[in-house]
Amino acid sequence: MNAVLNTVLIAFPKGRLGDELLPKLAGSTLALDEAALQSRALRIPTATPGVQALLLKGADLPRYVAAGIAALGIVGSDTLDETDVDLLELADLGFGACRLSLCGPRGLDLDALRQRPHLRLATKYLRATEAWLEREGLTAELVPLQSSVELAPILGLADAIVDLVQTGGTLKAHGLEEITVLGTTSARLVAGRGAYLANPERLRPLAAEIIRLLSATA
Amino acid sequence: MATHTPHFPDLLFTGAARLRRWEGRLMGLLADADYAELRSSLVMREPHADASLRFFDGDQLVALRWDYTTALARMLATRFAEPPPRVSYAGPVFRRASQTWEPVERFEVGCERIHADGTLRDAADVEVARLLMAVPATLGLRAAMLQVGSAALLRRPLEAERLPPDLAQAVAEALSRRALHRVQASLGGHPAVGRLLAHCELLLAGLEGTEGLKALESGPYAALLAEECEHLQKTLAALAPMVPSGLALRLDLADVQGLAFYTGPTLRLYAPGARQELAAGGRYDGLYPDLGKPWHAAGFCVRLAPLLDLADARPDLFQELNP
Repeated sequence: MNAVLNTVLIAFPKGRLGDELLPKLAGSTLALDEAALQSRALRIPTATPGVQALLLKGADLPRYVAAGIAALGIVGSDTLDETDVDLLELADLGFGACRLSLCGPRGLDLDALRQRPHLRLATKYLRATEAWLEREGLTAELVPLQSSVELAPILGLADAIVDLVQTGGTLKAHGLEEITVLGTTSARLVAGRGAYLANPERLRPLAAEIIRLLSATA
Repeated sequence: MATHTPHFPDLLFTGAARLRRWEGRLMGLLADADYAELRSSLVMREPHADASLRFFDGDQLVALRWDYTTALARMLATRFAEPPPRVSYAGPVFRRASQTWEPVERFEVGCERIHADGTLRDAADVEVARLLMAVPATLGLRAAMLQVGSAALLRRPLEAERLPPDLAQAVAEALSRRALHRVQASLGGHPAVGRLLAHCELLLAGLEGTEGLKALESGPYAALLAEECEHLQKTLAALAPMVPSGLALRLDLADVQGLAFYTGPTLRLYAPGARQELAAGGRYDGLYPDLGKPWHAAGFCVRLAPLLDLADARPDLFQELNP
């Protein structure tokens, strides 16, 4: 029981951000145990005794940290901005940088979209899109989608999309292009407010180590 | 405690007994310090906060009591010419939760130290903090941490720089999240960005003891904050010899939650394993003047719902006390 309570859990993201993160940790004090990584283990030991990792989907990760199950976590700012969870955001780690962009079929511009009497935008990022629409003084029907958002304008589900763009390769492959950039996103180091503030002796050095390891390689 | 969303907690035998016992112990602690109980109605007829639970009583919109401090302030400001110096309260408040796991019905015990004479501020702040320091032992909580901060350390620079309310709130929220990068993003090209960013960096430095306050002496708002820093330093010096065993007292200059309400020192109680603060308070000298009374006030509120959760999840953190 005590060993479990004394173990610090760090929540790492699966998916695109995780693919960028794990190679950065290789050979470091927080490198993940390869054998455990290949197994179905839920808690992955790291190179530091008493520190284990949880691999979680980005959308779930903030809840594990806010609930104090994981003391620290790494998650994209796009995910954070779409959730209500109260977390400390200790650093912008810089890597995993993307643009959150309004994208549409080649040749479509913002002025043309402004003229639409009923604009439909497909996106996973409803809050960020609503905030941008408000700033622009536009109204639109938001079509919530979780994946393959780029299909929406091609198949007529929406006029345009708001999505993360890293290289633009996927957009290009689907005959889409960026119309305007709404903002930029990157990986953030987060902590549960209660857990972090109640245990600063243990968590501050660990947070500083993560920042040192990851900011240097951003 | 059961967890539904929204979360209206039903307490079974152990939880109900624990709540009753804790309320009794905390009210005893406050009574021993001359705090007298007030009980405001569960229904508030005044303008309501967005987070309140509202309903129609006939054709009048009313709300369930969403905040004890506000409810008591209205009661005291309308019924007393001079402030009763020490009041306490215990009971539920109802507030829509910002987190899905937070209860809507929250059990609270708290106190208010109210004074018309501004020179009593130093003594009142120490008195309130000293009482809050006694709360963990009163509940049998073996380990806890009391974070002392000051809302004035951000509030005054923001006022001096005349930041619009929306921008001031964005800066405060970013700082409360300890996210300097978001402070920078919020301020964008504001003329005061350099000064405010340098100041926030000092607040976030996490320097131990009173080193953090000393660092502010070389910051961009040193003159503006000199009096508040001195007050905070005096408060900490007065509290240091009284810290009970099992409690750590820390300075947290980046504690700027509730900036719209708190005007001076702030207090937050945490414990290992608790996902949120277990008690919070501080000085709020703006409340009574807004109600037409030139009174000053400080107080705190113990949040029993997260404490009940903690007792369930981490019974090892609590020692059994004699009933």
